[in-house]
Amino acid sequence: MSEQNNRSNSHPARPMGGHGPGGGMALPGEKAKNFWGTVGRLFNYMAKYRIALVIVMIFAVGSQILQVQTPKILGKATTELFKGVMSGTAMQKAGIAMKEYPIDFTKIESIIMTVIMMYVASALLNFIMQFMMTRISQETVYRLRREMKAKMKTLPINYYDTHSNGDIMSRAINDMDNIAGTLQQSLTQLIQSTVMFIGTLWMMLTISWQLTLVAIATIPLSLVVVGVVAPRSQRFFAAQQKSLGLLNNQIEENYAGHIINRSFNHETQAISEFNEENERLYAASWKAQMISGLIMPLMTFINNLGYVFVGVLGGIQVANGSMSLGDVQAFLQYTQQFSQPITQLANLTNTIQATVASAERVFEVLDEDDMTDDQVDLPDVAASKDILTMAHVKFGYQGKDLLMTDYNLAVKPGQMIAIVGPTGAGKTTIINLLERFYDVAGGSIRLKGVDTRNMKREDLRRHFAMVLQDTWLFTGTIYDNLKYGREDATHDEIIAAAKAAHVDEFVRQLPDGYDTVLNEEASNISQGQRQLLTIARAFVADPEILILDEATSSVDTRTELHIQHAMGRLLKGRTSFVVAHRLSTIRDADNILVMNHGSIVETGNHDQLMAKQGFYADLYNSQFTGNVEI
Amino acid sequence: MIKIAKNRVSVWAVIGAVLFMIGQVVTNLYLPNLTSDLVNDGVAKGDVSYIWSVGGKMLLVSLLAVIFAFGNVLLAARTSQTLGKNLRRDIYQKVLNMSDDEFDQVGTSSLITRTTNDVIQIQNVAMVALRMMIMAPITLIGASFMAYQKDAQLTSIFIVVIPIIVVFIGIIMYFAVPLFKAMQTKTDKLNLVFREGLTGVRVIRAFVRDNFEQNRFDGVNRDYTNNARKVFSIMAAMFPVMTLVMSGTNIAITWFGGHLIANQAMPIGNMIAFMTYAMQILMSFMMLAMVFVFIPRAQASADRIQKVFDLKTRILEPKDPKKFSTDEPAQLDFDDVVFRYHGAEKPALIDVHAHMKAGQTLAIIGGTGSGKSTLINLIPRFYDVEQGAVRVNGLNVESVSKHDLQDQIALVPQKAVLFKGSLRDNLLYGNAQATDDELWHALEIAQAADFIRESDGLDTFVEQGGDNFSGGQKQRLAIARALVKKASVYIFDDSFSALDFKTDALLRQALRQDKTVNQAIIVIVGQRVSTVADADQIIVLEDGKMVGLGTHQELKENNEVYREIVDSQIKEGSASNE
Repeated sequence: MSEQNNRSNSHPARPMGGHGPGGGMALPGEKAKNFWGTVGRLFNYMAKYRIALVIVMIFAVGSQILQVQTPKILGKATTELFKGVMSGTAMQKAGIAMKEYPIDFTKIESIIMTVIMMYVASALLNFIMQFMMTRISQETVYRLRREMKAKMKTLPINYYDTHSNGDIMSRAINDMDNIAGTLQQSLTQLIQSTVMFIGTLWMMLTISWQLTLVAIATIPLSLVVVGVVAPRSQRFFAAQQKSLGLLNNQIEENYAGHIINRSFNHETQAISEFNEENERLYAASWKAQMISGLIMPLMTFINNLGYVFVGVLGGIQVANGSMSLGDVQAFLQYTQQFSQPITQLANLTNTIQATVASAERVFEVLDEDDMTDDQVDLPDVAASKDILTMAHVKFGYQGKDLLMTDYNLAVKPGQMIAIVGPTGAGKTTIINLLERFYDVAGGSIRLKGVDTRNMKREDLRRHFAMVLQDTWLFTGTIYDNLKYGREDATHDEIIAAAKAAHVDEFVRQLPDGYDTVLNEEASNISQGQRQLLTIARAFVADPEILILDEATSSVDTRTELHIQHAMGRLLKGRTSFVVAHRLSTIRDADNILVMNHGSIVETGNHDQLMAKQGFYADLYNSQFTGNVEI
Repeated sequence: MIKIAKNRVSVWAVIGAVLFMIGQVVTNLYLPNLTSDLVNDGVAKGDVSYIWSVGGKMLLVSLLAVIFAFGNVLLAARTSQTLGKNLRRDIYQKVLNMSDDEFDQVGTSSLITRTTNDVIQIQNVAMVALRMMIMAPITLIGASFMAYQKDAQLTSIFIVVIPIIVVFIGIIMYFAVPLFKAMQTKTDKLNLVFREGLTGVRVIRAFVRDNFEQNRFDGVNRDYTNNARKVFSIMAAMFPVMTLVMSGTNIAITWFGGHLIANQAMPIGNMIAFMTYAMQILMSFMMLAMVFVFIPRAQASADRIQKVFDLKTRILEPKDPKKFSTDEPAQLDFDDVVFRYHGAEKPALIDVHAHMKAGQTLAIIGGTGSGKSTLINLIPRFYDVEQGAVRVNGLNVESVSKHDLQDQIALVPQKAVLFKGSLRDNLLYGNAQATDDELWHALEIAQAADFIRESDGLDTFVEQGGDNFSGGQKQRLAIARALVKKASVYIFDDSFSALDFKTDALLRQALRQDKTVNQAIIVIVGQRVSTVADADQIIVLEDGKMVGLGTHQELKENNEVYREIVDSQIKEGSASNE
């Protein structure tokens, strides 16, 4: 059915959605770069199921061979019937009266029994094969997904910063789906179609080579349909997908921005732009649907052509007595199923190509370079009083200008370092370096005298905890989210942390308390409460050094107070780096890193910096423009 | 579903498609008939010229079948895609003209799915309906009739076979459908956990919880895989069993047919034709079964779409709209406004009043949920008041056309929205006539000129959702866009919170100095005291009540709530000297 081939086009609107096996009509342009290499690698993943795969293949071939033979054998039954009828009529003509034609039913019975057995055997083989293949394909993709996830652990942060989540997701979900679908269905289909094609041809030859020639004469016609019409429909499908994508973008944008649309009186223009694209989509999609819809009737027609000629020529041969009726009947059945493997193989090439391209994209991720663990030859500084030092640090993001050329900083235990600067000044760079999301290009960052590159990242990070503006929590219970801070935290420690961070109060008011599952959009708790949870999580971690972003957005006054309060408690007695938004924090800081355009432009405490009359003083004074004394 | 298709497809095209389909089916059914003639009267009698003439007829009939099929496919494709196109257009139009109230009822993401996926669903079903869905019953009836004609006794085979098929499909569906549904949830779970791993990568690594994440993913991965294995194992039985049933039918026909032939009750050609009809009957049964899977899904989509059409807007155009006079100075009044969200028990705003003249700034401050955004949404008439009135330039906003009202207002929403395209296109959004100089001027005021100059100027490409800009940059560009529009009232809904102190201050200073804006009224919703402090009037909201109105000085001296807010933000040492 051509409708089935188009199934994959039924949900193009959701790049993350489309699921289930059954590769649809693949879009052109999705060609793998290294086809056989990727295929080989994919098969390596199935190496564990080597024996099962061989069995699957044997069964696929076996079931198909059985299937292919049955029409011919069943044809023998028809021949027997015909023979009986012919001799019966001949006898009648000779004047012998009879109640029944002399048909050999015992022979027919044995033929039918054979056929039944073959059918049952074929069905059984087919079922077992599908059953095994399901297991093989699902387990293989399970493993691939698992490896992909494991890879996410070892990739450098740089990879995440330079690849969009959408791109990674589409590889992890859509491409995986493609692979699962193809392994599940297309592989066995490929074998079966090939066997069916060869088998049918063979059976036809054993019946009559003359009729086979007639049947084969229709192949070029089928090829024309498959080779000319199908690509055309694919082209329209591609155009359809493209229009659909653009249209969906328009829909998403304008729905999300409907307030802007309305308040700028932009509806009419938005609608006319939409209609334009909608027309384009229509023009492509009806053609795509029509042409793909035509393939089926056209193939039927070609089939019928063969059928008629075989019927006529076969009929003549039976009339001449050079062929049996059963053979002609069987041959007609073969003719009917002859085009099936051709169409199927044509579709399969597309699906398989698309799948190999998908596999290639998955392997691309798996082949990315991991984080490097190069130790540096810098001796530990044993007698350092500083908990953290930065000495001659040189740093810049890959392919970009250096942001720091020779930065020095010494932090004593318990000190608070404020990071300030205008929007987009690159305050995250400091976090990136401290947590070793990125490594320095030169110089050294030392934690208690040890270069951080000579420590395991995990060990380094256990000294830190972060509370960021982006309140990432995972979909799980509140309790588990708090425990996230430290795996071995006890129940009491977690509750104590919750109390310290003003979390306990609101959590107890939730119907499920600490077992409340945070949902994806976090619609069940407010933004401010999420922020409090991240603070509590840091409490649970109980780090030596704290990285904190003070910014709180869209939070009501009461919650804001709670957050300040909680942050205050968290900071107490700890060394801290605070992305500061409040004057009080900045004034109290032991050291202030003033950032602009990605680099640190000034360092010092509030008084020193004010005295400098530089960038910081400027920044600080600007808050009081408007001539209102707060 | 039919309701949705009404008026959106041509009835003639549908009738045409049905007629072509009938033609296609009739020709398809006629072919086996000819085959049986060929065997009965041609082959059995050895009449070669008769064989040729029947062969010719068969060719002709096949050709006719293709022509009919072509007609049907053409009409089906055009009709179904037209339906999709028109539905999409109508929903889009409806949605863009919806008020916030209706928008909230359905939700943005749901509206998007309804316009995209649901329409596609309907469109696909329409295609299937105009082909398979009408083909199956017609074939079923036709083939049954023909089969019955060929031999009435043999048809009793179907009494056994068809229930077997129905029961079998029923069993498969009974087990498979819930699993398929579960698969959807499990897929979502899989996506969710993987995506969380991406969005939270820094937190995960900072807390050294990679292994936890790995296990979490492994859990959902395993769960999904097991479910998929179950589903597809069940489905693995489907195909072989179906083949078996069909083959069994053929065998039964040969066996019983053979006896009929022996008894001279049926000519042999009829048996061959009967087999063909039998296959067609069984195939159409299976098609019907598949169709039944389609229909409920499409029905659900149709219902969701219909709900969008059924939404009635509560913001109506006035019958006899008044016009703003062009040279009237700007003015904004809230006359004892009371507002209640539709169906809400308690009003969201009570007795808000303020009167602003050209050149003045109105600031609104208060906690989350105090009604700040609600209040400014009344100015462009996103909602209607329950009591009192909102007046722009002296006219009640309900007495002028929505279009004219929007022309007087420039809005910067809380969440900056930019559209894919060039920056110029974005800035021209509210004023297509603006010159490049005016655009640059707006960018200067919005403190956005610097970073725009560093990229490609006005030709800078804006990604979808403005994703190539930071939050603060987006916000400034949204401000610039509003400034390009010449309006009487400029509304900034918490637009400065994403900016740092300095940029915030510079921006407000530049705003005040601009000639056009100076003639207008500025409305600022803010969180920070420093943002609102220099406004001419400040409205202090608490739980929808206006608890204060006055200047910063006045409020600081005698407003409890305002003072609390001020204290929370600037009290010295509040953060660290705990």
